[in-house]
Amino acid sequence: MNQHIASLVNDLLIKGQFAVLLYFLGVNGWYLILLVSSLLELRRHMLLIADESRHLLLSSTLSPTISILAPAYNEEATIEVSLRALLALHYPSLEVIVISDGSKDKTVQVLIEKFDLVPVKTIYERKIETKPVRTLYRSSTYPGLVVVDKENGGKADALNVGLSFARGELVCAMDADTLIEQDGLQRMVRPFLYATDVVATGGTIRVVNGSQVKHGRVEKTAVPTNLLAGVQVVEYLRAFLFGRLGWNRLGGNIIISGAFGLFQREAVLNAGGYLHDTVGEDMELVVRLKRLSYEKGGPGKIAFVPDPVAWTEVPESRRVLGRQRDRWHRGLADVLWRHRRMLLNPRYGATGLVVYPYYAFVELLAPVVEAVGLLGLVFGLVFGVVDWTFAGLFYLTAYGLGTALTAFTLILEDLSFHRYNSFRDRALLFWWALLENMGYRQLTVWWRLRGLWKFIRGRKDWGVMERKGFQAVPTAVKSPGAAA
Amino acid sequence: MVNEHLLDVIMLIEVGLLALAVGLFFLHGLWLHFTARRVKRLSKAGHEALARLVNRGHVSLEDVEALKAMPPDIQTITFLEVSRSVSGAGKERLSFVAQQAGVVDRARLLCHHKWWTRRLRGARILSRLGVPDPLVQTLLADPHPAVRAQAAEWAAAQPSVEVISSMLELLADPATQARFAVQNALLRMGNVIAEPLAAFLETHSGRSAEAGLRVAESVAVPGFLGSALRHSRADEPGVREAAAKLLGGIAGAEAGARLMEMLGDSESNVRAAAASALGRMRYWQAGSLLAEGLRDQRWRVRREAGLALRGLGAAGTLFLRRALKGDDRFAADMAEQVLELPEAAAG
Repeated sequence: MNQHIASLVNDLLIKGQFAVLLYFLGVNGWYLILLVSSLLELRRHMLLIADESRHLLLSSTLSPTISILAPAYNEEATIEVSLRALLALHYPSLEVIVISDGSKDKTVQVLIEKFDLVPVKTIYERKIETKPVRTLYRSSTYPGLVVVDKENGGKADALNVGLSFARGELVCAMDADTLIEQDGLQRMVRPFLYATDVVATGGTIRVVNGSQVKHGRVEKTAVPTNLLAGVQVVEYLRAFLFGRLGWNRLGGNIIISGAFGLFQREAVLNAGGYLHDTVGEDMELVVRLKRLSYEKGGPGKIAFVPDPVAWTEVPESRRVLGRQRDRWHRGLADVLWRHRRMLLNPRYGATGLVVYPYYAFVELLAPVVEAVGLLGLVFGLVFGVVDWTFAGLFYLTAYGLGTALTAFTLILEDLSFHRYNSFRDRALLFWWALLENMGYRQLTVWWRLRGLWKFIRGRKDWGVMERKGFQAVPTAVKSPGAAA
Repeated sequence: MVNEHLLDVIMLIEVGLLALAVGLFFLHGLWLHFTARRVKRLSKAGHEALARLVNRGHVSLEDVEALKAMPPDIQTITFLEVSRSVSGAGKERLSFVAQQAGVVDRARLLCHHKWWTRRLRGARILSRLGVPDPLVQTLLADPHPAVRAQAAEWAAAQPSVEVISSMLELLADPATQARFAVQNALLRMGNVIAEPLAAFLETHSGRSAEAGLRVAESVAVPGFLGSALRHSRADEPGVREAAAKLLGGIAGAEAGARLMEMLGDSESNVRAAAASALGRMRYWQAGSLLAEGLRDQRWRVRREAGLALRGLGAAGTLFLRRALKGDDRFAADMAEQVLELPEAAAG
């Protein structure tokens, strides 16, 4: 009897391991398709923008007004520099709305002093229910600057208030610590000018850790030497350059980074704005916009711009990174659950039949499958059910192919924007790409599983994010040209 | 359990792929490095020659020979780089030397290429150099929208009658990109477009008329009045809205009278545009109708009506104060918000 059970377990373990192998083969195969798709998309994009005179075409009076919504909570130390960088963005018709979400420090006072703010009244339509607004300010020196001081209600609430006050046809939602490239808005607005069915655009977000920042601008790009930050550089490149770009051709995106995205204001207002009771409010909004476009008509295309348009600081501590990834995965699970009606539903076209299933079966369930595979492998090796040859095969299929694909992503970056030029940066990038699968990825599996577990238990807290702050440029920095 | 040979094969493939990737990655880096150095080294003399041309207004035979001797790709890069920072007479001189050096001829060849990417490149070079080559005008009819858009950008600097009429026909271009570029180019041409645009608006309707009306709004000369009045009765709400905005720019009694009628339009966007236009004109005769607008079902119309009343001055303020005490709470609310606005927001 015992022997029978043992043989059954063995059989199950072996079959399970082969199933996991097949899953990874399928996932990596799909990644390969995404890589090819993004290569084609990138080639087309680079040909379109080569020698383009953006200043002529996009500094036109016909360009849509953009309202930047910048929620801020206790940002007294950084708000001045961040805001000055936003006000200096190159875009012809720009409005910047800072929403102080019940800051307990001197954020509002700093703004009043540094930007000559005066309290004003304005007429606005309150289409979305939000926490009360205390005071509205306008700057007497910067005509495009509006500051809203409101009671604390969270990021989604702050963005909803911003939406009500915004005058632009397009709104740009961003995190307070995102650094936008000076011509980032010009690049991001392009899809709206080129097609009428675009409801939102996202751009490539790069990791700022290790780079030098001056006056809210990235002065010199460099790959960080810190392991966690370095691996995330590679991870971000892969996620944006072949993950999201590839989807442009294969059914469209359903993710726009909360750090920086551009939306049609009217469409967002009609959809009811950002949801409060989710930790994935940015993804939720995009999926809702997409879903509504199928259900009610109207624009629904989510375009992705491969240009590096913004920079963000990534966590360098395991604890903070773990909290972030846990939250991201909870957000993903929550969004997919809320919109589960779309899964494999032909009514939602390619989104329902291709994109949604990918996010459900690959992005959401991958940590579960990976954990099962890894645990099964360890058990199998311990009890002699699987041999080392199989373990090698498992590693090569699950991780080796992924590393090769990541290496090709580095080539994509190099062929297009090549922001990491020095030999040191190249070597570091490649090194981080190799190391990613040796411990880091397994850690993310654990964090994501934790996120799933918390989702099942109904946890919706954000956790505390700690930031190190940008590395300032020394006063006498040589430009790359000057060094030669 | 697993064939070891299979494992070796897979490992070999993966190692091969990784080696290929790393090789390509570093080789491309080297190539980028040496290309940048080559461009810098070879374009130095060209940059100096072109700087002399732009700054002093003359170029020596030796300079032209030096420019001609440059490799074609470097030559093009150098001319395009310099073209970014020159305009007017400097650009004309640059364009002349580009023709002498062969850059223009190569760009013209590209414009005939069967691949749209090459045609786009050709059109971009000619646009950036400001070469008044009629060949680019033919690209306004190119099958690819990016090429048409580029040709439109070129046309902004060549406002001849033929070019303007070709551009006007493109106002109904099915591609948004080309349509946007055409509208933008027409706006940049300035008042020279007034006459042909007025004629165009007389004969066109629908989407092309709407785009034309939006361009006309920036010029807003009285010559557009007839067309604007006609289009203000179009079936398409977008056209009526654009006509209302244009009428507000033209102003005058006829425009004001028609705009007052448009306050009763079935579409809220048209009513809002009419109210805003009347406020812009400070058309005091519309006071009572604008006060009615404060009771509109749509918030945007109420807001535009309120702001327009405020723009009318004392008479409008009187209407707003009356609304404040009226029985319609939406009108009263809007009137209160408008009256509380600071002076700077009145206009």
